[in-house]
Amino acid sequence: MKKLITFTLNGYEVSAEVESHRMLLEVLRDTFDFKGTKPGCGQGECGACTVLVDDVNVDSCLYPAFEIEGKSVTTIEGLIDEGNKLHPVQESFVAHGGIQCGFCSPGMIMSATALLRENPSPSDGEIKAGISGNLCRCTGYVQIVESIRDAAERLQENAG
Amino acid sequence: MKKFDYHMPESLKEAYGLMEKQKGRARYIAGGTDVIVRVKQRAIEPEALISLRHISDLRGVHWNGGLRLGSMTILRDLERDEGTARDFKALHQAVRVLANPQVRNVATIGGNLANAAPSADCAPPLLVLGAKVEIDGPGGGRVVPLEAFFTGPGQTCLDGTEVIKSVIVPGVEKGTGTAFLKDGRVSQDIALINAAALVVMEGGVCKACRLAAGAVAPVPLRLKETEKAIEGREITPDVLEEIKGLAEKEVSPITDVRTTAEYRRIMSGVLIKRAVEQAARAAG
Repeated sequence: MKKLITFTLNGYEVSAEVESHRMLLEVLRDTFDFKGTKPGCGQGECGACTVLVDDVNVDSCLYPAFEIEGKSVTTIEGLIDEGNKLHPVQESFVAHGGIQCGFCSPGMIMSATALLRENPSPSDGEIKAGISGNLCRCTGYVQIVESIRDAAERLQENAG
Repeated sequence: MKKFDYHMPESLKEAYGLMEKQKGRARYIAGGTDVIVRVKQRAIEPEALISLRHISDLRGVHWNGGLRLGSMTILRDLERDEGTARDFKALHQAVRVLANPQVRNVATIGGNLANAAPSADCAPPLLVLGAKVEIDGPGGGRVVPLEAFFTGPGQTCLDGTEVIKSVIVPGVEKGTGTAFLKDGRVSQDIALINAAALVVMEGGVCKACRLAAGAVAPVPLRLKETEKAIEGREITPDVLEEIKGLAEKEVSPITDVRTTAEYRRIMSGVLIKRAVEQAARAAG
């Protein structure tokens, strides 16, 4: 079973013919060639495939592609501003070394972005709960939490 | 993974039509965080999935003394519902530690129950709150107590064409306190054991008590014998020790990859004891 689906991808309206058994992750990587979103466990445990759907973070490996019709999807590629400027959350991860091998980083950054949108000044406990669906196997959690704390400050400075 | 068709009906009638045409070969899907994983693992191999996400009859959180939750209520929305946090603390606590934010952003209350994992975090709180499940299907509707809904691991009384329409949680009387506790390596894990308690206190005496534990039996379990030992008594340290022992006897856990039967047995007593303590404190 195939269907033409139309949705907003990183601010642009796009359409693609997809098969009914595909997940959003496959559509992003294989149809649109956005490889920033990583395939990990495929079971909703590791969060490497995290993207935003209508501004909330979800695991794209478990999101049936047909369900994306009419929705707005943001991937790590979509965080970058026009002029190739990094998003404040990305800047913070760079500045604080919230990255080692980098495989978890797109998912971590998408979850951090969703968290800060809902809770602009989270406590460390709230940050840890916010990224509890994202695993980092390089055990860089300390710097990741620092990065998100810093991102909260950057975003508030930008807003204020 | 086996290929499957994917349908998105907008009414129950349309959903039943699709299901009756493909009976035995199709499955309903809600948020998909359990169903898709099982399809990927080839634990189930449906030819078609019928999404219940777009059916307006299955949506909405309604307060009318108690709570009527449309089965497609997303767990994240329940987590943010102030009334639930205030009146049904055990349910709120369970939803907050169910899996992780990405899963809670799509998983539904109906899906958590229909999946019928013995460890389902929503089950013990809803059992102690006396919740009922409103079922609807091509042959009509019925309402069953949650206790009668689960029939085995992954098994419910749904006949394969039926859906959960809503979960009905009756309002609580004055002096009620509830609590939920979960034991896992980290709280987001599938529970090794989970437990919920509801007590109604009057003049320092426990007037009514309901207890439930998960991942300690083939279905989420009410601990009726243990409940009887508390009702009509003051909740003293001696009583708490007694119910710890009673709860251990009432569960029938197994050993699996997560932990041993012995650990589950001992910890179910501990969690039930602590849940009663916390519920009594919450009752004031």
